[in-house]
Amino acid sequence: MNELDGLIDQKSGAQRRLIYSDQAIYAQEMEHIFGRCWLFLAHESQIPNPGDFFRTYMGEDDVLVIRQEDRTIKAFLNSCTHRGNRLVRADRGNARAFACNYHGWAFGIDGSLATVPLEREVYFNEIDKDQFRLVPVDNVASYRGLIFGCFDKDAPSLEDYLGDMRWYLDSALDAMPEGTELIGATQKVVLNTNWKLPVENVCGDGYHLGWSHAGAMKATQSGDLSGFTVGNTGVDLEGGMSVAGLNGNSVLASLDGVSGYAFYPEPALALKYLTENRAKVVARLGKFRGEKLWGSQLNLTIFPSLQFLPGLNWFRVYHPKGPGQIEMWTWAIVEKAMPDELKQQILDNVLLTFGPAGLFDNDDGDNLASCTSQSRGWRTRQMPVYTNMALGRSGQRAGLPGDIASGIVSEHNQRYFYRRWQEHMQAKDWSEVPQYNLHPLEAKDEQRTVQTA
Amino acid sequence: MNSALSKPLEVPVMLAVDKHLAIQQQLFYEARLLDDERFNEWLELLEDDVRYRMPVTERRFRKDRSAPLAFGTGYIFDDTKARLGMRVGRLQSGLVWAEDPRNNVRRIISNVEIWQGAEANEAEVYSIVTIHRSRIDGEEKRFVAGRRDVWRETTQGWRLALRELKLDNAVVLDSNMNTFF
Repeated sequence: MNELDGLIDQKSGAQRRLIYSDQAIYAQEMEHIFGRCWLFLAHESQIPNPGDFFRTYMGEDDVLVIRQEDRTIKAFLNSCTHRGNRLVRADRGNARAFACNYHGWAFGIDGSLATVPLEREVYFNEIDKDQFRLVPVDNVASYRGLIFGCFDKDAPSLEDYLGDMRWYLDSALDAMPEGTELIGATQKVVLNTNWKLPVENVCGDGYHLGWSHAGAMKATQSGDLSGFTVGNTGVDLEGGMSVAGLNGNSVLASLDGVSGYAFYPEPALALKYLTENRAKVVARLGKFRGEKLWGSQLNLTIFPSLQFLPGLNWFRVYHPKGPGQIEMWTWAIVEKAMPDELKQQILDNVLLTFGPAGLFDNDDGDNLASCTSQSRGWRTRQMPVYTNMALGRSGQRAGLPGDIASGIVSEHNQRYFYRRWQEHMQAKDWSEVPQYNLHPLEAKDEQRTVQTA
Repeated sequence: MNSALSKPLEVPVMLAVDKHLAIQQQLFYEARLLDDERFNEWLELLEDDVRYRMPVTERRFRKDRSAPLAFGTGYIFDDTKARLGMRVGRLQSGLVWAEDPRNNVRRIISNVEIWQGAEANEAEVYSIVTIHRSRIDGEEKRFVAGRRDVWRETTQGWRLALRELKLDNAVVLDSNMNTFF
């Protein structure tokens, strides 16, 4: 689509603001991005038993994720095949079957249409129930406990979609052999923002931390610990890196092995866990990931809308609700091997810092909403905004996949996020979407993984 | 242990009228302190062992068969006095840009019930708080929560020992909850 060419300018790091407000662009995003990409559905730990279900969204489509009797996982559109009513209105739970509120059609957990009221009397036993199964999500796959769904049959495999990002993901998801789990109920907040703005905020924007969150950093006395100075008066670019060029996925990383826990009011328990398990993790993941990444504050972004921060331990997905609104869903992610006391502390801390009343999260909402509203005016929607910090200052680092810029205050990752957005918007289908893992790992480089599940 | 965490009396007993009125007055006074952002005076109304909690609200089927979450649903607020003090410190830092210009907040406290508490010097108090916030431009935001309080009679008057909140919204409809209930 040539009219999309001018929306993103990689050279100057500019985006046209109408990408945050235009209804036609949003409609195309639903088709080209949310209709095409692998989207996070749930964590396997959230539906451990047969009949466990979890309700979520893929774009604006309501989806039901269900653990089957054979323990595999299926996902269906949460919509009765008769008149389209929403089938399940609970957030999660366990069930043997789901009956539609409207006329009582009941579906099994495998999506089959089990019973139709008055089937003999009013359908004269002529209904082909097989034709009215719940509509499945075409592709469902897991990566180290994270369940993803994809509507597009032509999409690359989940592993190829994640690409070399897996090397970074594993520093959180595969550091310990037991893996991870999500704990707590889903924290849901409506924000009047375009969905891309929170993603870019978390994928690369270390710049806002010292300013937007100055009040919280001062109150929690966390400023000095994380390499920032309250009020954006100082920054350490050597202690971190921004990694992108991995199929639209990206990483912000501190490299000290402990800073993820810097915002904790009482980090002793977490630090003890890190110390006790460091050697084991180094043995599994190698020296760089075991010493520099595990325990550090990492911002991991899976394009388009999944983000999690090992260390701070929040795990989040954004569901678009039109160009100017999202529902933001947050959980706490923990390593299964952590002691219960530490897991409980992490859940508590995630809510204290990034929950609906979170000391940090409460600073971001208005900024994101205002960036959205300031792209709606007749004049403002034509104007550019910029992610032009440290343009051209990135490259290869030995042994590390991706195109890497120094520090976590850079706009390097955001530029790659918008580049990926543009690639999807311009491509007619997956055959036109470029696949790239810049500076890929070679076999001689650090051990990639310890196991292939 | 904070005795306020113990169960309420099964047969409700009313307090003497003067105590009843003093507690009711305290609820309205507390709301006005918060509306006026007199946070330090509000903190003085709290016992040192106060617990202030609001769990995450979920929508579940009434007959759901699944086991409870291993670590609970989590709490939007699970605060001690020190932590409430930290929230106040943040709001008073002058660095919370979402609160400048100031958001006008009105709390309406209703359906107040006051009963004898588990301890002789305690009262068990139920109420509903509706918080109206007039925010940016024409934005009007509202939270509704049920409250179960325990107030304790001290030499300084009635002090809050426990507040258990139930937020009605499973989806929070505002960009921040820079507010106390």
